[in-house]
Amino acid sequence: MHPVLLVFLYGLATALATGLGAIPFLFVRTVSSTVVAYSNAIAAGLMLGASFGLVAQGSAYGALPTLAGSALGVLFILITQRVLGEHDIAFGKARGAGARQMLLMITVMTVHSFSEGVAVGVSLGGGATLALVITAAIAVHNIPEGLAISAVMRPRGTSVLGCAGWSIFSSLPQPIMAVPAFLLVETLRPALPYGIGFAAGAMVFMVLVELLPEAFGRARRAPVALMVSFTLIGMVLLQRYL
Amino acid sequence: MDPTLTVLLYSSLAAGVAAFGALPFLFQQRLPTVRIGWANALAAGMMLGAAYALLVAGMRDGAVLREGAGAVLGILFVYLTHAALQTEDLDLNRLEQTGPEYGYQVTLVNALHSAAEGVAIGAAMLVSLPFGIFMALAIAVHNIPEATVLSAILTARGVRVRDAGGLAVATKVSQVLLAIVTFAVGGAAPTVLPWVLGFSVGALIYLVMAELLPESYRQAGSTTIALVTIVAMGMVVLLEHAGA
Repeated sequence: MHPVLLVFLYGLATALATGLGAIPFLFVRTVSSTVVAYSNAIAAGLMLGASFGLVAQGSAYGALPTLAGSALGVLFILITQRVLGEHDIAFGKARGAGARQMLLMITVMTVHSFSEGVAVGVSLGGGATLALVITAAIAVHNIPEGLAISAVMRPRGTSVLGCAGWSIFSSLPQPIMAVPAFLLVETLRPALPYGIGFAAGAMVFMVLVELLPEAFGRARRAPVALMVSFTLIGMVLLQRYL
Repeated sequence: MDPTLTVLLYSSLAAGVAAFGALPFLFQQRLPTVRIGWANALAAGMMLGAAYALLVAGMRDGAVLREGAGAVLGILFVYLTHAALQTEDLDLNRLEQTGPEYGYQVTLVNALHSAAEGVAIGAAMLVSLPFGIFMALAIAVHNIPEATVLSAILTARGVRVRDAGGLAVATKVSQVLLAIVTFAVGGAAPTVLPWVLGFSVGALIYLVMAELLPESYRQAGSTTIALVTIVAMGMVVLLEHAGA
């Protein structure tokens, strides 16, 4: 098989794995205010853990570009929030705040997949021997991202299938970006810390500005704090081992 | 200088600067609630940055699983002390209608909070003295807004500004103590390093989530708090990488 096609297929496989993150929500029948809070807490922990890993990875390429990228990521969320806030948006069954949060979540996770796609391409460009291992690692790492998206969308009225679909959609930039990154490793590598930083900044800010305040508003703080902390640590361990 | 003296010196400095947190109350009787929210978010962001720095330091060691187990212990330690003191749902920033019991609880929660940070300083000193000094200075700066919040509560209860500053420093004495104990134990038994690193990461994250952020969102609104927190966190991360 042509190596470019192979890179694309590997990227596609990792994108499909994101859909698996919706599976736990097959077992969540009732959607109460507490379920929203706990789902937010889990999504927050996953995204904070992922961002810690991203910042560490980005800083290996360059700490300042990573931080500069993060600042852009924060700005991006602030602007997207404003734009979405000005319109009375509807998304699926939800309107207003719920719709805004779902759209923000999909936007954040999709944008963040661009830099992941570049990372896939660059690492595959380093030599095809490890390609399968890297692909499997990224695929597993995508599942919690799908879980984070589903945790925000499912309590706001999206079907489980819809959650899986949007999760996969959010990862489609991976195969799309992996190919040019694979072909232009040397050209794109300097841009990588900016992209990684952007993704981390956008995710941390999304957690701080949308997910946590709502979680604290809807449930007692101790269980929310426990879930955020444990999922954060779990995510860090997962990333470290894969 | 003997390394233990370095730990003593810098952790005492961190505890001492907490007195500055009471300074605003020399000029005004009450601080606007929004400012208290800012102070909480500043402290929260710096603690998250410190947790990140400790996490990365632990990863260089490669004992990730033990660090993870330590983190679980750190989270559980803070959760269980809250549960034992029945302070899990305590509003830590009440300025009005507080009884004697409340003052006691808030000071105790503050002292335990500082104890966990003392472990963080000690663990960082075990990684390397420069990293430990960086951590002590970060915790020192973060102690100021924390002391401001405590002083706001104390002065609202009629405590004099001078005494509020003194009490703020007193709640940080546990930081000095735990920093030295952690450093001494870690020096004698190097295998505990990943455990204490993990412990401090877990405890710091849980403290931010359970004590600092929930209050601050009510006080200053989510956009302000998110911005202050992420900027404070970014500063610590940037300085850590600049030093490393």
